[in-house]
Amino acid sequence: MEILIYGAVTSAIYAMLAVGFTLIFGVARILNLAHGSFYALGAYSAYVLTTLAGLPLWLAALLSIAIVAIFGVLVEKILIRPLRSSQLGVLMISLATALVVEQALFLIFGSEYRNVPAFIDTKFNLFGVDVAGQRLLTLAVATVAIGGLYAFIQFTRLGSAILAISQDPLAAKYMGIPSDRIFSLVMAISAGLAALAGVMAGPFLSVQPSMHLLPIVKAFAIVVVGGLGSIPGSIAAAFMLGYAETIVAYLVSGSWTEIVSVLATLLMLVFRPAGLFGKRAAF
Amino acid sequence: MKAFKGLDTLSSFGGLVALLLLGVLPTLFTGKYLVGVLTVAAIYGIWAVSWDFMSGLTGRENFGHSLFIGVGAYAAGFLNVHFGVGPWWSLPASMLVSMLFAVVLGFPTLRLKGPYFALAMLSSAVIMQRLMLIFWEYTGGEEGIQDITPLIVNPLHYYWFVLAVLGGITLLLSWMARSRWGLILRAIRGDEATCLAAGLPITTYKIVSLVISAAFAGLGGALYAHYQLQVSPQLFAVVTSITIITMVYVGGMGTIFGPVGGALLLTVMTEGLRNFGEWRLMIYSLLLIFILFFLPNGIIAPIWQKMRNLGRPS
Amino acid sequence: MSALLQVKQLDKHFGGLHVLKNFNMELHKGEIVGILGPNGAGKTTLFNLLTGFIPADSGEVLLRGQPIRQLKANTIVGLGMARTFQLCRPFVGLTVLENVLVGSLGPRVKTHDLGERAMHLLAQVGLADKAQQASELLSYGDLRRLEIARALATEPELLLLDEPFAGLGSSEIEALSVLIRQLHSEQHLTILLIEHKLREFMQLVSRVVAIDFGEIIAEGSPADIVKDPRVIEAYIGKQNPLNLDNHA
Repeated sequence: MEILIYGAVTSAIYAMLAVGFTLIFGVARILNLAHGSFYALGAYSAYVLTTLAGLPLWLAALLSIAIVAIFGVLVEKILIRPLRSSQLGVLMISLATALVVEQALFLIFGSEYRNVPAFIDTKFNLFGVDVAGQRLLTLAVATVAIGGLYAFIQFTRLGSAILAISQDPLAAKYMGIPSDRIFSLVMAISAGLAALAGVMAGPFLSVQPSMHLLPIVKAFAIVVVGGLGSIPGSIAAAFMLGYAETIVAYLVSGSWTEIVSVLATLLMLVFRPAGLFGKRAAF
Repeated sequence: MKAFKGLDTLSSFGGLVALLLLGVLPTLFTGKYLVGVLTVAAIYGIWAVSWDFMSGLTGRENFGHSLFIGVGAYAAGFLNVHFGVGPWWSLPASMLVSMLFAVVLGFPTLRLKGPYFALAMLSSAVIMQRLMLIFWEYTGGEEGIQDITPLIVNPLHYYWFVLAVLGGITLLLSWMARSRWGLILRAIRGDEATCLAAGLPITTYKIVSLVISAAFAGLGGALYAHYQLQVSPQLFAVVTSITIITMVYVGGMGTIFGPVGGALLLTVMTEGLRNFGEWRLMIYSLLLIFILFFLPNGIIAPIWQKMRNLGRPS
Repeated sequence: MSALLQVKQLDKHFGGLHVLKNFNMELHKGEIVGILGPNGAGKTTLFNLLTGFIPADSGEVLLRGQPIRQLKANTIVGLGMARTFQLCRPFVGLTVLENVLVGSLGPRVKTHDLGERAMHLLAQVGLADKAQQASELLSYGDLRRLEIARALATEPELLLLDEPFAGLGSSEIEALSVLIRQLHSEQHLTILLIEHKLREFMQLVSRVVAIDFGEIIAEGSPADIVKDPRVIEAYIGKQNPLNLDNHA
């Protein structure tokens, strides 16, 4: 039962990270290695706004998401877009950006762990298991956020435009869909989701400058398993990875969880490179 | 008619001269400091050259080169400290271990197009670093493995040894890059489907070149271990990989000799930036961004090209 | 005399689309055979299946009696079947000569002086003077020739040409036809050629296999094919592709 709940929480965080990662790829064909930085910046921003600016948590959270979303849009516009012709150029520049952010955080905040306050401090007892309220809230928030995103894409005109671009960018352009503006929007959503994950998970996961690396590793593993560009695939794979790690942590030991993601990635690439729900194996 | 370019006499001669100059330098300005910096620069040169051979030629950029460096270094550390094996065995052992990792990681990822390879290598390096910390009882955790015995005690002599290794590797890989190997790797960069239609088993070539790249990276790792006399998880850091890639970019991708210059330049620059302390890595990352935007062909190789063209009528 | 290439019941689906339906064909040594069909008929898919670039669902492909359906693309080239691509992609960053050299590294090439042989091939296709040029700067027609030179470099017995005339002007088409005929007679190459315009291969091929919707609808000499009612029907409704009387 513990596994069920903790696994769900982990999966929820992973899902928020993976969906944003796969979304920007599916739409703009950008593999953004700075995605982890959005997660990190979300957490740090919440820390700064509450601790140093003294803002109430809910306001700090919203502002953090907005700030990171804008940051994401700027990164895409200024750094990534000029290099879009080379997929590796995009990888390089986004990785370099991630490192600059990491170094900036290190220079400003040092390498000690920082405390992001939680929305709910009490523990609940669910089905006989003690769970921190914040973790449950994270699960709930993630569900709402991803559900909302899904509804947005399925039911609004803007959402249809996004789908159109991801399926056929050229045709979408000929139909007058402003792809550049859509890229910015999608980037904002992607960064915002990652920042939300940072804000929600900050209280119970570690907050230090290099916290952006693991999310990238996990996000990559998830999209490989789920299929790059497929949102349902990412969600499914996020749950698979989240539960796999939780199970390994309980049955074997916490130390071995790290290998799960890499192992899953390599195995998937050997046997089914397209992922479970992906359309093609290679681009 | 010669089909393949082969080693260029002028460049080889120039390389030899540069190597001799580098060797002589510390005897002119004595003191442990310079020898130390140059030794590290030479080792970075080995790492940069090994990266360039695979990624520079094929265009399949390896974002986890630090993994091969780290496993080579840790192999040296384990053998030497935990198993008490003589230090010279580190060299072949580190190469073997790195080559093994190259096969395991290269096989699933190099078969596919797209950035799977780049990202899988990055992920693997990150995870390896975490594993070194997690299994601290075996690996020494943050502090890593200490008290490694040096290969050659005299720093100057060790420096000359490392320099010789660098020269040898650069010569070998330059020669390969200008022979049919290099042609095939560059063709893979050009278009993989056309390569298949030309009858080439491209996956095999990609994996083998990764293995070669890894072998020398691991060797460099062992050399580093026997210089620092300790290894730590920091070797696996993403920053190490990025530093090396920056060196290759500065030197000129795919030229093999350029990255040596890039390694020298950047190592010296890093030392010069010592005063900036914690800002060094930040400056590096910004430098990389700058180069990606404005100098994609690097600095060293284009300058060498210009110098050569000056000497001859067009 | 047994056939050089035998295709038996070759079948392929792309998702729900049945792209190639139990395709049967035989090719004898020394023939020049053309595969004719409107766009979407399955011609390039056939080529991709034969040369190992995509996997077939079922069926057999025999080269000199040896089954090759499951082999990798580069292995098939090593057995003597080479192909060109409709969308020529030269090796970017390599010179014209180097492009041909890459094709010369396979097991069928016995000469030691690869450079000389590559120059010879370039001379055959008329690109000798451009040997040191960057391959990505070539004109469309020259790229086609380079494709052929690169395929020839692998020392094939059977050459598959994928719409070699597409996008070329009439004088270039004429020159290319002459080249293909030369290669056929001088090098004793067996050639299988795809086109969707009949005019181009009327004079070139000895036999035509017409396909539509993944099936063979007619087979025969060019003169017969043109009069075949099923072939005419397949083309009506699409633009006038037979181009028999008009200039291209």
